[in-house]
Amino acid sequence: MTATRSWLRERSELGICALLVALGVLVLTDALRIPTDFAQRGPVGPKAVPILVGSLLLVVAVLLARDVLRGGRGEAEGGEDVDLTEPADWRTVLLLCGAFLANAALIGVVGFPISGAILFWGAAYALGSRAFVRDPLIAAGLSILTFVVFNNLLGVPLPGGPLMEVF
Amino acid sequence: MEQLLNGFATALTPTHLLFAAIGVLLGTAIGVLPGIGPAMAVALLLPVTYGMEPTGAFIMFAGIYYGGMFGGSTTSILLNTPGESAAVVTAFEGNPMARKGRGAQALAAAAIGHFAGGIIGTILIVLLAPFVAKHAVDIGAPDLFAIMVLAFIAVTSVLGASRIRGVASLLIGLTLGLVGLDDMTGQQRLTFGSLHLADGIDVVVVAVALFAVGEALWVAAHLRRKPFEPIPVGRPWLSRADLKRTWKPWLRGPAIGFPFGAIPAGGAEIPTFLSYVTEKRLSKNKDDWGKGAIEGVAGPESTASASAAGTLVTMLTLGLPTTATAAVMLAAFQQYGIQPGPLLFQREAGLVWALIASLFIGLTLLLVLNLPLAPLWAKLLRIPRPYLYAGILFFASVGAYAVNADIFDLLLMFVIGLLGFAMRRYGLPVLPAIIGVILGPAAEQQMRRSLQLSDGSLTGLVNSPMAVIVYVVVLLIVFFPLLKRFVPSPTPPAAPTPERHKIDA
Amino acid sequence: MSVKVWVAVATAVLAVLLVPPLLTPGADSGETSQVRTLRVLVPNQPGGGYDITARTAAKAMEDADLLRNAEVFNLPGAGGTVGLGRTVGERGNGKLIMSMGLGVVGAVYTNKSPNSLLDTTPIAKLIEEPDIVVVSKDSPYTSLQQLVDAWKANPGTVTVGGGSAPGGPDHMAPMLMAKAVGLQPKTVNYIQFDGGGELLASVLGGKVAFGVSGVGEYRDQIKAGTLRVLAVTSGKRVDGIDAPTLKESGVDVEFANWRGIVAPPGITQTDRDKLVDLLGRMHRTPQWAEALQRNGWTDAFAPGEGFKTFLDNENKRVATVLKDLGLA
Repeated sequence: MTATRSWLRERSELGICALLVALGVLVLTDALRIPTDFAQRGPVGPKAVPILVGSLLLVVAVLLARDVLRGGRGEAEGGEDVDLTEPADWRTVLLLCGAFLANAALIGVVGFPISGAILFWGAAYALGSRAFVRDPLIAAGLSILTFVVFNNLLGVPLPGGPLMEVF
Repeated sequence: MEQLLNGFATALTPTHLLFAAIGVLLGTAIGVLPGIGPAMAVALLLPVTYGMEPTGAFIMFAGIYYGGMFGGSTTSILLNTPGESAAVVTAFEGNPMARKGRGAQALAAAAIGHFAGGIIGTILIVLLAPFVAKHAVDIGAPDLFAIMVLAFIAVTSVLGASRIRGVASLLIGLTLGLVGLDDMTGQQRLTFGSLHLADGIDVVVVAVALFAVGEALWVAAHLRRKPFEPIPVGRPWLSRADLKRTWKPWLRGPAIGFPFGAIPAGGAEIPTFLSYVTEKRLSKNKDDWGKGAIEGVAGPESTASASAAGTLVTMLTLGLPTTATAAVMLAAFQQYGIQPGPLLFQREAGLVWALIASLFIGLTLLLVLNLPLAPLWAKLLRIPRPYLYAGILFFASVGAYAVNADIFDLLLMFVIGLLGFAMRRYGLPVLPAIIGVILGPAAEQQMRRSLQLSDGSLTGLVNSPMAVIVYVVVLLIVFFPLLKRFVPSPTPPAAPTPERHKIDA
Repeated sequence: MSVKVWVAVATAVLAVLLVPPLLTPGADSGETSQVRTLRVLVPNQPGGGYDITARTAAKAMEDADLLRNAEVFNLPGAGGTVGLGRTVGERGNGKLIMSMGLGVVGAVYTNKSPNSLLDTTPIAKLIEEPDIVVVSKDSPYTSLQQLVDAWKANPGTVTVGGGSAPGGPDHMAPMLMAKAVGLQPKTVNYIQFDGGGELLASVLGGKVAFGVSGVGEYRDQIKAGTLRVLAVTSGKRVDGIDAPTLKESGVDVEFANWRGIVAPPGITQTDRDKLVDLLGRMHRTPQWAEALQRNGWTDAFAPGEGFKTFLDNENKRVATVLKDLGLA
């Protein structure tokens, strides 16, 4: 059992192959669904390119799987802020996703100034900033400034929040 | 020539200089804002010029146009969030430079590239306007498709260390590019019935999601918890070595950008990519590529700027808007009752030459204002990492949301961001995916249009001299390495590249 | 947590809640007979047809002081149906109008949009813009009759270019013409270009046999003699263009692209009357008259009920053509 797990863990890149297969199947089924009973001109219709791309996705998935099983590994991307010697820190990633999605979920309900501030503060918190006095103030300032520039100066409307109608 | 001097006389009056300066500043400021490209910037600022006399208004527009394009590359370099499609390629090398503390140099290379490309492009307007007007319309779908094939061949040079992973990434990009209503027949593809997907996925959204959101998530997973070292800002100016590496790309940019801007449906994405690939191939510092090669900023920026100039030629002489920004400018012209077209140079000579003169002035002002600002902008990266990445996510979200005021765009960006995260984890390079999104739809459209024009006959793909020439070049590039293998040579033979053939298919 | 933290958080929350409303001018308050502020939704890109119409109308209203503030915003997507969806979703909102036109009617079908224009409250039709049938000066066709003969003999190689997607005006016009001369719409080789600009290049370069498009961007080329107009699609001849109508050339089609204004469904009768009245007064301003002249638009003002009937008929006409093509 553990042997299988570590075997899989070692070859988690097969997940990418699965993703490519899924994409390929999706593209192919979608392409085959396109009706042909319309005014198509020329030998190449709307189906041809999706079928090509879908098939290539499947081929590449197989080739990549072969590469992984033979011991090939994709090299994780490095960078100045990235420390690959540590295992992945999923808590930070989830917090960051939460901050991003909170903005998407709240923007229509409580308005951009609030949801934007939550996004900024949440993301900064997730990434390890613990300045509880400075962070909310910076988040609020940035959010308000953005709102005023877009909504009031440029006329690109952003939702203002529950109190917009009160004044 | 005399007319151009008269144009300068008009444009150099203090009022008009002021308008040009205001335009450049406003354009840069708005171009820097997320989600607002030059087209939107010009549209938003159109009302500002209501009530101004036409010459002043157009001088201001010229400033906004160039300023907006330049502003887009600033965020591309500093935050990895391109403000518009012409600046996507700039992020490839510009952002790594900024991360290495060479942000000021990247910005300076971009600013001077912009200036050089714009000035050369504008000189070409003066010299070539009648020629371009005559021949731009000869370029048709078969020629464009041939160029797309060439661009696909060029993709092989950005596939990265593992070719199979590079191709996988390219295919992911092509898949994203398929989404939307098929232009030619109105059939839905991969839209799953959603109207939001009917127009396809904008390349800027894909680029920002893969670059910025994907990177923020990836950094979060492996954040270096050691002492925070602010990114050094470094020397503010270009060193002699930098100049030596950049002057040729600056000058080569217009050769690629100007013709592309001038032809219908040329745009700026494909020429900037071609410039990137060309510079990479010609560069003597191949190891730097992907880690911040300054040529990769200088070339594409100069190309983008020259392509903007090319766009103006077709707009002024033919009344053809070849980009969204040109369409807005055209609308602005019509607001003043001026119809660009073949008769414009005779009917409104004074105005046109003042506009051209103000392009020169606008570009010069842009350079003068932005070079000293480059080190200041670069200091932005000194803020602590949590704020930097929080700011990037904030910036990306505002950009995605502001354009359509739709939560769907935020979710789309998030999903593609997760994809970017997975790609980083498993060593799939991000560049081929972006190129796939740019090239895929354009290539398909031009190929099918060629075949439709010839009523289905395959000769429709090769029935123009230019297309044939491009195909010959393609064949040479593909078969040259093969030929070399059969001819004995002192150097070891080039590695076979099986993937290359798949891409041609 | 210290007091400082609470103060900071409270300040942030208060600022975020209070500053934006305080800095933004208040919405309408009180019931006056006049509309003071209005939001105008443009369902396509800046610089597009609906955009220019909307901005021109908004400016005319502000200049004539009919309105304090008209805020024009773009919500492009799916041929205008994304904007349509938003408008239908704003049920009962009397302070929002959408600029739209014939293209949106077709896009509803090709995009399989769940919302239809019949769901909206029609306010007024504003303008019409006839299409032209145009060839380059080097084309072998000098009259519509010659073109139609060649077209009937060989619909596959006599290609027609247009600047709009299937279902849009430049697509509808040749399809209607084909039906009128006895060609199956399916045999028409229609090639779509990204807007009138790219199409113009193809016509000038002789890439397509003929083009069908609005007059707008073409006037100068026509004057310069690089383009030849074989016919205009409207019922009457067009000033400044030396070409017969389709009917005069023996093709029984009368067609024009049009643009108008609709409001969300379910608005009160009072709101509707106010909006119809506002557009009516806008239509009488000298600013609007001048804008029509400048843009080469034909005045085709039809308020309220008249517009509703017109919209119904256009919807049917578009649906018939698209059904023939298998698109609806």
